[in-house]
Amino acid sequence: MIDPVAAGLVAIYCIAMLAIGVWASRKIQNISDYVVAGRSLDFWVFTMLMIGAVCSGMSLLGVSGLGFKYAWPTIWEQIAVPLSISFCIIFFGVKMWTVAKKSGYITVQDYLAQRYESQQTLRGLSAVSGIVVSMIYLAGQYTAISIVLMWLFGLPHWLALLIGAAIVTAYTVIGGLYAVAWASLVQGIILIVGVIIMAPIVIMAAGGFTNINEVMASVNPTNVDPWVTGAGAVFTPTYIFSFFLLLTIGLACAPHVINNILCVKDVKYFKWTPLIAFVVYGAVMFLLKFAGFAGIVLVKDGMITLPQVKNASDFIFVYGVQAALPSIALWGIFAVIVLAAVMSTTDRLMLTIGTYFAWDIYKKILKPDADDKKVLFVNKISVVMAAVVTLLLAINPPDMLVWLIWAGIGIMFATFAVPLLAGLYWRRATRQGAMAAMGLGLAASLFFGGLSYFKIDLFPMAFHFSFYAFVISVIAMIAVSYLTPPHDEKVLDETLTGWYIQKS
Amino acid sequence: MFGLPLLTIVSVGGTVLIILIALIFWGLNFKESPA
Repeated sequence: MIDPVAAGLVAIYCIAMLAIGVWASRKIQNISDYVVAGRSLDFWVFTMLMIGAVCSGMSLLGVSGLGFKYAWPTIWEQIAVPLSISFCIIFFGVKMWTVAKKSGYITVQDYLAQRYESQQTLRGLSAVSGIVVSMIYLAGQYTAISIVLMWLFGLPHWLALLIGAAIVTAYTVIGGLYAVAWASLVQGIILIVGVIIMAPIVIMAAGGFTNINEVMASVNPTNVDPWVTGAGAVFTPTYIFSFFLLLTIGLACAPHVINNILCVKDVKYFKWTPLIAFVVYGAVMFLLKFAGFAGIVLVKDGMITLPQVKNASDFIFVYGVQAALPSIALWGIFAVIVLAAVMSTTDRLMLTIGTYFAWDIYKKILKPDADDKKVLFVNKISVVMAAVVTLLLAINPPDMLVWLIWAGIGIMFATFAVPLLAGLYWRRATRQGAMAAMGLGLAASLFFGGLSYFKIDLFPMAFHFSFYAFVISVIAMIAVSYLTPPHDEKVLDETLTGWYIQKS
Repeated sequence: MFGLPLLTIVSVGGTVLIILIALIFWGLNFKESPA
């Protein structure tokens, strides 16, 4: 039976999100308002938008799950993921925001098109890659919605997905980035406060931090080491190095993260956001990981029994809260926390997909003469279509999709990092180099990801699969750029290209 | 300390500390009006 208090809490949360969507819709006059909130986001709204975009539902559940499965050697994830926000702002944000404000960019493709003088080919390739990767990532997010609603209300998987998707789609479609940003502010506060309260309760239920570490060490001494070595070890120093790069740079250049840079009102916000986002989100991530460690003790002591499903470790935080908290009503609060984390990423992904199609493909390639009203309409329709397609994929995910979700960030890392970084910092980088880096990076990440996931032992892979694809992308960029003519100095000056972050 | 080996505390704590110092340095040296 559904607990009325828990159901009420979830309902209040959902109504609040819809109310934000309705309020935000009144602020939208044109496509710039819809996509970049008229470049009006102030400090805290922007900071929370960045945290919300990076903190997905699957990371909320998956962080504890990974900690439960591989213990302390996975702790580097807690540093790398918050650091991705700082990396994005410092290495992409400062320069790109300045050029974007001057040139009126509303997507990252606008930057790539100007920097690489490719209004259609590179723009199209980047937009299509961004849409595909974002849709894969989006389908993965729905799994987290489903886990929570199935657990709390006993809803069937399809109904849980449908309810979650309908609410996110509604406020995203009507409110655009204003709604996404302000919803992220509310969701971020819920998430931070919720985790700061809930995670310590789970940790205390397992006997406290020191006891957890002692029990983990008694189960396996390498559980409390910062890395492991030897045959069969996963989190080896080389793997951790590549995993760190993957999370820090891969998430920083993910389409739903980097585009947030363009929405900021004032560049001075980039002064302290990197530190504040790192500290705040880092604290949340560490607590979530420690809750996963607590799960090891709770399972060992027989306080919880995980479900017999393939991704059982992803349920560890949910079951830990259930064991530590006596009241079903408190579970409702927990459900709201997870939903807030899921929706803060899901809405941004949906808007990114819609914008990439409406602006970069429809307006800039297919119908250059389309007016603002028409582009806005196509954008809204695209958001709905993105929701429908990913929902259908998530209801009964094919094995290939499960693999792609797992590989999602790795694909982003190998596809977008090199063209963006080389474009901003290397004046010799050319259009052909960028296309080779993007195309080969994507192909190589699919190839090496396939080898890794399906355990095809072609050669011993000491690093995360995406690292090999990243190296190929770097080589392609350098080799092809030197073989092709450089860009006009005027374009390079206009796009602030060079070996500096800020021009003195 | 905390039931953890010294290597874990030093490596994880040291990395966090270095990042914090770097981000504080960034904040203190950030110029508000780039070109």
